[in-house]
Amino acid sequence: MSTLSPPPRPTPPSASPQPPNPISLRLYKVLAASFDDDATREAIRTLSDLYIAPPAKGKEVRRDDDADLDDADELDVPARAQAKPGGRGIDEAAATAVVARARKNLRRDVDTMLAASSRKFLAAFGEVDKQLDILQEHIGTMRERCDEAQTQLRQTSDACRTLLDRAGSLREERHEVAMRQNIVSLFLARFTLSEDEKEAITSRDVPVGKRFFAAMDRAEKIRDDCRVLLSGADVQPTAGLEITLATSALLEQAYDKLFRWCCAEFRLMARDTQLDASPALREAVRRLQQRPELLTEALAHLAQTRESALLAAFTGALTRGGVGGLPRPIELHAHDPLRYAGDMLAWVHQALAAEREGLEGLFGVAGRRRMVGAVRTREGPEEAWMSEMLDRAVGGLGAPLKVRVMQTVRSQESSITSYKLANLLQFYMLTMQRTIGEDAVLSRTLQELTDASYKAFFDAIDALGRALLRAPLDLDDHSVSPPLAILDHAQVLREIMAVYESSLLGDESAEEQTAGFRAILDRLVDPALEMVPAAAEAKQRQRPRWDGTVFVLNTLEYLLGVLEPFAWTQEKQEVVKGRIAGVVAQLTEEHYNTILRDAGLDEVAAALESRQPDEPLSRVPAAQAGRLQQALDAFSGWLSGAGVVHAERLAAVDARRVAGDVHSAALGRVAETYGRLCEEVRRAENRYEAGATLLGGSRPFGQVHLLWQIFGLEGGAAA
Amino acid sequence: MGDYEDATELMETYDFLMKYIVIGEAGTGKSCLLHQFTHNTFKDHSQHTIGVEFSSRTVKLGEKRIKLQLWDTAGQERFRGRSVTRSYYRGAAGAILVYDITSRQSFLNLSRWLADARALASPHLVTVLVGNKSDKEEDREVEWAEASKWAAENDVHFLEASSLTGDNVEAPFLLCARSILLAIESGALDPEKAGSGVSYGDRALRRVNSSSRLSFGSLSGGRRKSTVKLRLPLTGGRCC
Ligand SMILES: Nc1nc2c(ncn2[C@@H]2O[C@H](COP(=O)(O)OP(=O)(O)OP(=O)(O)O)[C@@H](O)[C@H]2O)c(=O)[nH]1
Ligand SMILES: [Mg+2]
Repeated sequence: MSTLSPPPRPTPPSASPQPPNPISLRLYKVLAASFDDDATREAIRTLSDLYIAPPAKGKEVRRDDDADLDDADELDVPARAQAKPGGRGIDEAAATAVVARARKNLRRDVDTMLAASSRKFLAAFGEVDKQLDILQEHIGTMRERCDEAQTQLRQTSDACRTLLDRAGSLREERHEVAMRQNIVSLFLARFTLSEDEKEAITSRDVPVGKRFFAAMDRAEKIRDDCRVLLSGADVQPTAGLEITLATSALLEQAYDKLFRWCCAEFRLMARDTQLDASPALREAVRRLQQRPELLTEALAHLAQTRESALLAAFTGALTRGGVGGLPRPIELHAHDPLRYAGDMLAWVHQALAAEREGLEGLFGVAGRRRMVGAVRTREGPEEAWMSEMLDRAVGGLGAPLKVRVMQTVRSQESSITSYKLANLLQFYMLTMQRTIGEDAVLSRTLQELTDASYKAFFDAIDALGRALLRAPLDLDDHSVSPPLAILDHAQVLREIMAVYESSLLGDESAEEQTAGFRAILDRLVDPALEMVPAAAEAKQRQRPRWDGTVFVLNTLEYLLGVLEPFAWTQEKQEVVKGRIAGVVAQLTEEHYNTILRDAGLDEVAAALESRQPDEPLSRVPAAQAGRLQQALDAFSGWLSGAGVVHAERLAAVDARRVAGDVHSAALGRVAETYGRLCEEVRRAENRYEAGATLLGGSRPFGQVHLLWQIFGLEGGAAA
Repeated sequence: MGDYEDATELMETYDFLMKYIVIGEAGTGKSCLLHQFTHNTFKDHSQHTIGVEFSSRTVKLGEKRIKLQLWDTAGQERFRGRSVTRSYYRGAAGAILVYDITSRQSFLNLSRWLADARALASPHLVTVLVGNKSDKEEDREVEWAEASKWAAENDVHFLEASSLTGDNVEAPFLLCARSILLAIESGALDPEKAGSGVSYGDRALRRVNSSSRLSFGSLSGGRRKSTVKLRLPLTGGRCC
């Protein structure tokens, strides 16, 4: 509306200097009105359309009406009427008529048109109103429906909620059940064996092998897990118990199968000289250690099998030898006792070592490399089994070995061979005991054989000793050298000692070495020590001129010489030396007396010894001055003879050193006796007249040191 | 030596079992040689062997696993005299005859040892002569050529080795085993028979093979190949 009103700005302020009257104001307003604005132009164009075009054209009229309606309130009709000619410019005749008519009827026309339009509106709105009523009706119904629906919905949703609740709890339940099912199936999977596994355990057709062992492992695991399960307090024990029972039953079957299979396998091992266990068998044995009673029984079969296998092999080696008799059967050498026994023992030793190796393989302890010589330390439970098996396997070899060895031992005549045999047996006994222990059957057999062979040997040397004691000396043998019986005896001793020496390992202590041969020495040397003086005495009685003492000395010296090379005979050497010392003392005494006699001093010396304490020496008949003079002269004569440096009797002593010693000792005593005599003669109590003169009459002129010099002895200086 | 580890360690089964004796003068290094062979180390402070000592080792030869039962004998005369060591020759399949290249005496006595072995052991005894202590070149008293000639004349294999350094120590044992296997293959030696010094290991193998002739693929097919595989130092012609 504001757009239609003429813009008052350009004119009023300047064109109205004085308060005008309303008409002029109006006039001004009209005059000042400009119709050149778009709204006016549009209104006029509408009007012109209204009148140019026949009113029939409703559409346009209506449009004009609209425009007119718009303008109606504001526009002043005269103003508009005036404006029209001004706007148009050109008037024509027709137009003039129309304009005239328009001028006349404008208001009415407009009103008419307005009324028409209003009617139209009215009609239209009436229609709208009617429609709206219908609509309202519809909406009402709709609301009703909606309310109904809502009620229903509410009811439904109420109903649904319980359903949903139930569905929810059901779902939860289902979840729980599924979980439990899962647990149960896991449980079952974990605690039951598959059919396949059961079959592996129970079926005879499934061999003992990987599959079987795997199934067994499963069963064992289940049983162990069950144990853990049952130990948990909050678990119901029934399932666990059932499973335990079922599994244990299966496991027992498994062990039983293992057991039967092992027995069968073990029985097959009869043909093999060498015990060789397959990996499966090794595993089976390892597992059966859980059932010691089953293993024991199965191993009993093996022990038996092995015993007879080894026995057969041994018999074969003894009687048949190798292929085509090569190597030769051991018995072929039965005539050679050492070789025979040695071959048998070595065979047994080798069988023992090989069997031990086989058992180590069977018990899975192979590879613990160890020399057989090394002492075995008892370790692990297998060791006990192996020891027993080994004991039984080789124990059977004892019987044939024993028969043959005993026979060999008994048939030996030579004590040396007997000793070698005993040594050999002892060597093997010690060697094998290191592997099988002292309590093994074979060890005991070997011990028995060793003892028996030693007994045979001791019997033999005892017999030698007895024979020696009985052996008489040849009365017609004038020599004083060791007799043949002693030479033979010593030869035996020598050989036996050599055997003993070679049997020493070198790590024994001196005491051990001595102890190891003491009994033998006693048996061999003591009879000789006894026999020699006794026999000499006997012969002496028969042949007084024969020198028994020198004979004994010679023989003892000889025996000492036999013993001397070996340090471990020291003890016996001392005994012999003691005897020799006795003989030497006796010989020295005899030799001294011989010299005194030879030198003519014997009676004087006797007088010196035997006179009464208060009796003057010169009063003893043998020491009277005259007799003394004779004696001293004789002595002087002897001193210039050969007797000083040479003694006939001692020439027969084989040990020159001993002979020299005896002679020197005797001379020494002579010198001492002479010295004492001189002293006594010079003493007044003995009442010699011119005793010094008496002594100085002949060599050595009463000078003892001179005598020592003559004898060539050191003792003179000291005396 | 490390190359043998896998082939020798703790093998549980074997195809053949062979019995060897190790003989020769005292002090030639028999025990050291064996110790080196079974332990891969030098045996310090070796004492004279008393009687006989046993050890074993499994070796691989081509496809065959062979368990060797080794009997180390005392060289000292007193044990020979006492009928101890000689009894072990019986039924040996192989003999490792050892002398000391720094001891002419130990070489001169070889004939006696060989005669003993031949007389007492399996008739098919395979002997390998080992000149030990090859590390002591400066003290050498026996030339390689001389020993090689002796070996050829006496129909034994020969090589020099050092138990100290381990040089060539495996070779005599493998060489011996190979010869024995070849003898079995040729039919000259039957492991089924007692006293041969050889026996089958796995009984299963025996069952399979007892009726038919054994075949040693790699052995009969290519000696060269197996030699190379074994790293036997024989390719250089140092073997007779
Ligand atoms: N340099 C050197 N020394 C060696 C070698 N082999 C052994 N020996 C030494 O030779 C000595 C004797 O070795 P053993 O192996 O005990 O000799 P053996 O032949 O077994 O002796 P018996 O058991 O008495 O027969 C020891 O002192 C060893 O150290 C070697 O290859 N080189
Ligand atoms: Mg040795």
